Amino acid sequence: MSKIIGAVEIGTSKAKALIGEVTANSSVHVVGMATRLNDGMRKGEIVDFRKAAQAVHSALADAEKMSGTTVDEVYLAQTGSHLRGRMLRGSSSVSSSDNRVSASDLQRASEEAKRRQSEEDRTFVHHIRTPILLDGRVVQDPVGMIGSKVDLGYWSVDGDDQAIKQALHVISNYSLDVKDLIISSIASSTMMAGPDLRRAGTLVIDMGAGVTDFALYRQGFVAYTGVIPVGGDHLTGDLSMGLRILEPYAENLKIEHGKAFADPINDSDDVWIIGNKTIGDRSVPRKAITDIIHVRIVELFEIISKELEGLLDPDELKGGVLLTGGASKLPGIEQVASKVLGFTVRKANFPNGISNDLAQPENATVLGLLHYGLEDHSLPGKRNEEPESSFMGKFKKMVGLSSEL
Amino acid sequence: MTKKNLNKRNFSDNTWKKLAPKSSRKPASTAAFKKRLVFISKFFALASILILVGLISWFLNHKSNVGPIDLTGPSMPVSGIEFQSDGSLNEKWFNNWFGPLRNRTLMDLDIAMIQEELMLEPQIIFARVSREFPSKLLVNITERKPILRLCLRSESKGEEIWLVSKEGNIYKGQCYGRSSLQHLPYLDLKASTLKFTSNKKGFEPLGDISLVAPLLEVAKKKFPSFYTDWQIVSYNRPNDNDPGAYIKIKSRKIKNLRFAPHSYEKQLKKLKYLFSEPKFYQSETIERIDLSHDRSVFAKII
Repeated sequence: MSKIIGAVEIGTSKAKALIGEVTANSSVHVVGMATRLNDGMRKGEIVDFRKAAQAVHSALADAEKMSGTTVDEVYLAQTGSHLRGRMLRGSSSVSSSDNRVSASDLQRASEEAKRRQSEEDRTFVHHIRTPILLDGRVVQDPVGMIGSKVDLGYWSVDGDDQAIKQALHVISNYSLDVKDLIISSIASSTMMAGPDLRRAGTLVIDMGAGVTDFALYRQGFVAYTGVIPVGGDHLTGDLSMGLRILEPYAENLKIEHGKAFADPINDSDDVWIIGNKTIGDRSVPRKAITDIIHVRIVELFEIISKELEGLLDPDELKGGVLLTGGASKLPGIEQVASKVLGFTVRKANFPNGISNDLAQPENATVLGLLHYGLEDHSLPGKRNEEPESSFMGKFKKMVGLSSEL
Repeated sequence: MTKKNLNKRNFSDNTWKKLAPKSSRKPASTAAFKKRLVFISKFFALASILILVGLISWFLNHKSNVGPIDLTGPSMPVSGIEFQSDGSLNEKWFNNWFGPLRNRTLMDLDIAMIQEELMLEPQIIFARVSREFPSKLLVNITERKPILRLCLRSESKGEEIWLVSKEGNIYKGQCYGRSSLQHLPYLDLKASTLKFTSNKKGFEPLGDISLVAPLLEVAKKKFPSFYTDWQIVSYNRPNDNDPGAYIKIKSRKIKNLRFAPHSYEKQLKKLKYLFSEPKFYQSETIERIDLSHDRSVFAKII
């Protein structure tokens, strides 16, 4: 029997909703997808609840209409500069007399790691498990193996309570539950970097409109995630200010003539801006556009490089750097990134089986949400048990009878 | 929050799930409002259908059980009727009136309806019908008491004797013996005073009789020698407050005996006193005695 799942990304420029049908063999068929412009966000955070809710709800309604079904719960992407990650570690001694590791030993180590508290007014969004060590050796599944001590680590991302609440409220306002909150960088990198690349070590950079998310993988596990509050909208803003034109014209220039690095062949051309009634028709040198964009792109990768300082070991990053997200469409961006980061950089490709309509860099996160949600992230020896939501619970939620808010 | 409290907190309390709102009262968008409206409409439509189905099944289930619960079980055919009356009606009359029982059991009989129909009989004031298990039907009747006879003549039916009760009801007496009626005086009244009932089978009650009846009762009880001689009673406006009102009686001895419609015993005592006089008791026929005046009596002896 198939199951319907949903995914929502509340992006800075667009809200995306996706509905997938999970078949018996655990493959997902996308049956509904919709995108709506979102004016309620700035730099990955909700600044106008009603506008953000309008965009997300409309996208969800369109996706439901397209799929001909409804969803009860969704995976929600979380981004924003308020997110901060850190490594939490826990350990436990093997409790059985024959020194065989049991699931409860892993559970105790996991609880110890997660027991660490976040700061006041901050809450953990995502715990991403790192390798399990049995007596200092990396093992995939220690249950049943002989040893004396199990070490477990989580890359734990926490965020500002208010920002998280706002995002959750947008979803609950449409009478839906959030099945899991997944940080955008993990969602997109799960989609764009396959297990082989993750094992080889790779850095996935998802360049959105308001923020740039990145996730660093080493030996198949997450070693670092981060969010830089710079995205495609900043390029538009820089063009608008630098060329003294309105933002819609700047956005058009970026899309049609923008490049990340100077091209001596075409840079002598002028680009005409026609229809601007305040300043009249005028021309802009193509080199000026490229220069403005180049400066900002270089700055962005320098920030990432600085944040990952010490972690960018060529031996641990054989998979190179992958770029995705809407802003990664900028021509020449991989060359600039390669120059700044000092690694092979390429634009990420979607795995086979995804239609051309969907296989666009800006859809990496929302598609990755479904992909990540399907994977089993529970500890070895333990399965996720999903509580069924009752009809009355759904009704209470619909009419707002629940006491908790 | 103190560090101590922080350490005591369960790690699961610090995940985003604690921030998730359980419900949202006010939809923030048209799409959310529409979704909520559709869901609530579906819920109430489903609830209405369930209630309707429940009501229909309840109705169908109870329809077959409508009516009184039979706690007695099957009863036996009626073996006897115990009939009691304070008047002339008897069991024979009842059997005639009711018709053949034809092995009907007590529970077959609708005793409320029998009682109701009995009380529609003009001679009966009250009837009570009950069952005495296993097979006896009890009938108890209270009848009207006749105080006067009324002789009516018509072209089709000839001469008919009707009875008048002390309440003024006019009815054809049933089961009366000849001797029980022959001492009753006749009532003389104008034909226009009688009014047919709506079904034309009887007459409306005579309201004025209620003032005449006490005279007959007192006379019958305390002055029987006078009463047995009375033959015809008539009255003219027998209203207590009407100075011209009177009750006229014709007897064998007195052709015209008048009473005022009140203080009957006092007037009868006067009459008795008069008849202590030789002139009165020796005379064979007295033309007229008028007792309707307070302080004097007018009498004319032939």
